[in-house]
Amino acid sequence: MSTIDTLGRGNAFVRGRPLLSVVFLVGFALLVDLVHGMYTGRIPLENVTRLFWNGLLVGLILGLAGIGLSMTYSILNFANFSHGDLITVGAFSGWSVTYLLAGAGATEFGARVLIDANLNVTVLSDPFAVVVGLVLASALTILIALVVDRLVYRPMRDSSGISLLIASIGVALVLRHLVAFVYRAHTRGVTGGERVDILPVFEGAGNVSVNTATLMVVAVTLMIGVHLLVQRTKLGTAMRAMADNQDLALITGIPTERVVTWTWILGAGLTGAAGFLIVLERGTLDFNIGWGLLLLIFAAVILGGIGSIYGAIGGGLIIGLTQSLSTIWIPSDFATPAAFSLMILVLLFRPSGLFGGVSTA
Amino acid sequence: MALLEVSGLDAGYGDLQILEDVDLEIGGDEYVAIVGPNGAGKSTVMKSIFGLATYMGGRIVFDGEAIDGLRPEEIIHRGLGYVPQDDNVFPSLSVEENLEMGAYILSEVPGDRLREVYDRFPILEERRSQTAGDLSGGQRQMLAMGRALMLDPALLMLDEPSAGLAPDLVEELFDRIDAINDAGTAILMVEQNATEALDRCDRGYVLVQGRNRYVDTGERLLENEQVRQDFLGG
Repeated sequence: MSTIDTLGRGNAFVRGRPLLSVVFLVGFALLVDLVHGMYTGRIPLENVTRLFWNGLLVGLILGLAGIGLSMTYSILNFANFSHGDLITVGAFSGWSVTYLLAGAGATEFGARVLIDANLNVTVLSDPFAVVVGLVLASALTILIALVVDRLVYRPMRDSSGISLLIASIGVALVLRHLVAFVYRAHTRGVTGGERVDILPVFEGAGNVSVNTATLMVVAVTLMIGVHLLVQRTKLGTAMRAMADNQDLALITGIPTERVVTWTWILGAGLTGAAGFLIVLERGTLDFNIGWGLLLLIFAAVILGGIGSIYGAIGGGLIIGLTQSLSTIWIPSDFATPAAFSLMILVLLFRPSGLFGGVSTA
Repeated sequence: MALLEVSGLDAGYGDLQILEDVDLEIGGDEYVAIVGPNGAGKSTVMKSIFGLATYMGGRIVFDGEAIDGLRPEEIIHRGLGYVPQDDNVFPSLSVEENLEMGAYILSEVPGDRLREVYDRFPILEERRSQTAGDLSGGQRQMLAMGRALMLDPALLMLDEPSAGLAPDLVEELFDRIDAINDAGTAILMVEQNATEALDRCDRGYVLVQGRNRYVDTGERLLENEQVRQDFLGG
């Protein structure tokens, strides 16, 4: 009786949602294959742990960088295409500062400001320079974002989301080419040549460098900080209120322009920090760094549910892990398409994303 | 002297003029209702007072000072509360957070006001940590009023508070509005439910096609043959 019931329900589910059933089936098959492969040694355990670790790292980066995008979307109601180039601004401005401090006296001023000196900075060799660089990456990105808001977005506050989106593409181009003009277009190595490993994380999976560990700790700390700010403070509550209903926020007496300013400060601050940390982990820097990440960040934010900071974090982790773990089965050239395919699949079943709905909550 | 004095108000949206030469007056503890057919511009009166419609002329004086052209947060500061008809709570915020937002312009949430609102609407205290989106229509309406009462306004403007509520809830809601008025807050209410509103208010305005048609006590408007025939369904 109960078996028949279960079968009947399963049957109804498969007929009612055939596509979802196929997705579950494929996911299940992959999981079985993974367990089987690891059991028989066909898929080495250290490969899986290494890929998982890499995915986690990329996911944290995408999540951290995505929070600002999600925030500006929910408060200002537009998809900000210049977000990627705010990452670039953060990376260059922050590393200029770090190089200025780290190489003081050793190399000439110009080479340090333009990040062309060969300094091989690590967190251990120059902790002070890295910390100040990180803080100023945030501060300078905030400054640029506020200037852009005053010059471009504020006069357009009542325009449609599409007009603002197109304006933001213009801002993206201007920012990127300004960076390329000042720093020139070559790719440079920035961080330490010698890896300093501190944490043996998984047996055989390789160790974690100090720079990478720093990225993870700072990223998670900032995420927790944003969570507390949005959930526990008056400003955070006002931001959620504005995301819910701008008109009501206005007639409730919430000073909406001030909340918008704070949204830029928070969003751009996190984005600038993300830019700095990405370089700390990657070790290289060029003027396309943010633009190259933008589509993946959009994928993460949309998959998670645009407008939600938790969606940005969750979506970032899912995209990062998918991209990384998919290479167990497919060539790495297809890793990014796999991540985007997963995003499309999620949207087919949950059009508003995993953490659905427009809300900073 | 009247608390709110609107004279010769012309207003609308963009180029479209809705209100023409509207006069309105509310005393310090009065309960005034604006009734009239659909599209008469009832809600526009409130939106113009609050600076949300396009102001085209006339004077709006609150507590002796002209308030036309002021930002909503400045108007709130002067003691005017407004509860719009739809979407009048923040659905993803908790009930208590909604109330706290009502006191945003103060540096601290006034504990005694919160207490008073909870005493007035006990259901809100019961549901204080629930998200407002999960409340019923009647509870939302109470929450919206509670939020506007957080600053202890001298005048509370209510736009169709009974819209969409079940009949037994409408009675309860009007009783609560009476109580708020009895406690010394002036009420300006726009209502679709004209008979009930005129029955409860001190004075009523009948607004037709953007103009004042009748002004009188609620009682006399209800007795007025012409008003009954034209607007109250005989």
